[in-house]
Amino acid sequence: MPPSICAVCRTNRALILRPKDHSKLCRECFITVFETEIHHTILSTNLFERGERIAIGASGGKDSTVLASVLKTLNERYDYGLELMLLSIDEGIKGYRDDSLETVKRNAVQYDMPLTILGYSELYGWTMDQVVEQVGKKGNCTYCGVFRRQALDRGAARLGVKHVVTGHNADDVAETVLMNLLRGDLPRLSRTTSIVTSTPSLAPNKTGVADNTHIKRSKPLKYAYEKEIVLYAHHKQLDYFSTECIYSPEAFRGSARALIKNLERVRPSAILDVVRSGEDMARLVPGSDEGCGGACASATAAEEEVGGCGSAVGKSMASVERQLASNERAQESNLETEITLPKPSPAPSTTPAGPPLKGQKKPRSERSGGPKKKGPAKQVMGSCIKCGYLSSQAVCKACVLLEGLNKSRPKNAIEVGYEVQDVSLNSVRDELEATTLSTER
Amino acid sequence: MPGKTTDGALSEVCRRCKENSSVLVVRLEPLCQDCFARYVHTKAIKRLETFRVNFHTNEERKVLLPLTFGVSSTTLMHILDLHLKTQMSKTGRTGFALSVLAIGNAEGTLPVDGFLDKVRRQYPGDAALRDLVPHAADVRNFSDQEQLASLINSLPSASARADVLSTLRTRLIVEHARSAGCQSILWGDSTTALAEKTLAETCKGRGFSLPWQVADGKTPFGVYFHYPLRDVLKKELVSYIDLADSGLASLVHESTPGATQASTSSKNTTIDDLMKQYFESVEENFPSIVSNVVRTSSKLEVPAGADSDPRCGTAGLGKESVKAFAAHAPEHIYLTGRNSTAAASLMAEVRSERSTAALSFIELDLSSLRSPVGFDCTDKLAPLAKDKDLANRLWDWTDKILARYDGADG
Repeated sequence: MPPSICAVCRTNRALILRPKDHSKLCRECFITVFETEIHHTILSTNLFERGERIAIGASGGKDSTVLASVLKTLNERYDYGLELMLLSIDEGIKGYRDDSLETVKRNAVQYDMPLTILGYSELYGWTMDQVVEQVGKKGNCTYCGVFRRQALDRGAARLGVKHVVTGHNADDVAETVLMNLLRGDLPRLSRTTSIVTSTPSLAPNKTGVADNTHIKRSKPLKYAYEKEIVLYAHHKQLDYFSTECIYSPEAFRGSARALIKNLERVRPSAILDVVRSGEDMARLVPGSDEGCGGACASATAAEEEVGGCGSAVGKSMASVERQLASNERAQESNLETEITLPKPSPAPSTTPAGPPLKGQKKPRSERSGGPKKKGPAKQVMGSCIKCGYLSSQAVCKACVLLEGLNKSRPKNAIEVGYEVQDVSLNSVRDELEATTLSTER
Repeated sequence: MPGKTTDGALSEVCRRCKENSSVLVVRLEPLCQDCFARYVHTKAIKRLETFRVNFHTNEERKVLLPLTFGVSSTTLMHILDLHLKTQMSKTGRTGFALSVLAIGNAEGTLPVDGFLDKVRRQYPGDAALRDLVPHAADVRNFSDQEQLASLINSLPSASARADVLSTLRTRLIVEHARSAGCQSILWGDSTTALAEKTLAETCKGRGFSLPWQVADGKTPFGVYFHYPLRDVLKKELVSYIDLADSGLASLVHESTPGATQASTSSKNTTIDDLMKQYFESVEENFPSIVSNVVRTSSKLEVPAGADSDPRCGTAGLGKESVKAFAAHAPEHIYLTGRNSTAAASLMAEVRSERSTAALSFIELDLSSLRSPVGFDCTDKLAPLAKDKDLANRLWDWTDKILARYDGADG
């Protein structure tokens, strides 16, 4: 069989089977196609403004390294006029973060970008290693997730930057969509797919007075496949660090992740299809902000949670099950069976179910006026009375967790559950080798 | 047997009646046979509030039950029959009239006639179950089996083939419901099946359609969909069939006793298979997660006013696709859709940008099987199709389906 020819340039020999659509491309064309797609994402969502200062949330891993490299390339090629810098958070995990930070330091030199490193110990007085010593390995992701979200914002505020980009990819977004469906988290479902989520947070300004600044978060790699990111990093010979967090097992996400990987095998476009569905469903969530199709995304609330680790996500499937089951039983003992949809308008609701027939009575729940199942509650944002960070509660989650830690007893229950499935990055890499066209093709 | 049997705790007393000994544990409760049957019935009938006996009108609601001879739809038929009998004995009238539509499978391997006979014997001359329509709308039963097969085989993947078949099946059932004057279709989907559907549709990029694919209520087809078994898990239905004494089990034809042994090769696996496998394993240990998926997706709703506002430029072939095609300066672009005004403005827009391509608009509602009729498709479209023969067969086939319905109407 003659060697395959690149489907784009039709001159070079194809070396890459593109994960997204299985087209055969040469190295150069793959890199161009990958970069152009991200350029397209940036243009079509008006992600950046000329002269904007952008902090890249850099962990030293493949996603953020590729993000930094691509943004630098595109910024120069298409003259976005951006000022790029790297922002790293040091969670204080020995054998993981200290090594990956070395990578980030090299990247800063390679890409000629200023680097700021902000540590948990500096911000909160606790490193993750110390937290784990205190609370154990289970449930520590809650702390890490809550702390990191704030840390990135605080870091951005310190740099005087109003826009942080993160390396979340299409697989992460798709995974989160499925996960939010599985655990029934509609408010998050309505948020996870939007490319921009703004985190209005408090940052001390020059006068030392707390000042509400909106820090924009975005994920330019939202439509990029994880496999293609790894391929890109490989073919551009990027310097990245590939070890997963040593504390990371997350059974619930693992189950969604395994499903996504299987789907990708059956139909490569499935990941994008899930992202698309997620975008569409966001508009269907009652009372969501996405009615405008994401155009007014600035209204989306804080506490986004895509990819990586995060608070409520660090649960095992078994603990989610227990919680849901007890909700169900509580509901049944209330004799509450109808699920009433909260109407966004105060107008009297019309029952959506069933043919409109004369003399039809309302469902039991409406007649009895019994306790109704609440729909997704709209968050009302205030600020934490302790640290001033944006919070829906009087005291923000980080301060609550910190208080527990400082009292030497964890406030959050530590979940004991057993893991179901977990797919590690290693399997992704194995597959990658399979997707790189070998000579016998 | 699925649905945990009480092995060690066999002696445990049923938690509901506190009299009989339990036969299985349902959501942590040990139940006896009667209480379990009542549990399943209550869950289903609670969902049928809309179909209570209505004393204010003489008009009878007609509903359609598509019967695939699987566990779920057979159970639903049995429960509906019981429900109708109860209504009759209590009030002397029924809240609805039931039509049952027997559905074969596309391969034609299901002995529909044999099963139908059994069903008829099981529910003989029942006043309530009056309208047993024999396999009128089964894709399998068209004499042009081969046409269908060649159409389906021209699709590139197992997922696509399964998808087209199920879409065709739904459309045919809806079409039958319309021609039989049924306002509602009662689907047999269990909680598990609906959860599978939710995730499968999400993974096929059709998250937008979930409000009418999973929730009870009106669909864009104009017919109401109801899922009375939405609160019952698949494994509970299997137990129900096993425990039922009325010979119900003999009516069930389970061609695939479980999706778990589905092909390991990803070539033959469909997205639906994947979801089935996934939820079969989840259902085993985490039943609440399964029901939570269904509860969550049922909360999605089409925002008010969305109907009047077409989602695409022409409510048909995508605006962006047309523009992308135009960029390649083809000879002629035919675009289809439902909204001719929008199409006109789109064509004007494209012409202002690139004038080389000829553009024609064909008004077509692809959600309706009847729409292509009256439009001389073969003449206009055939020259476009790479496979002229395929185009012809497609239109012939559509004609024949519609002819059947027109015959049924008269």
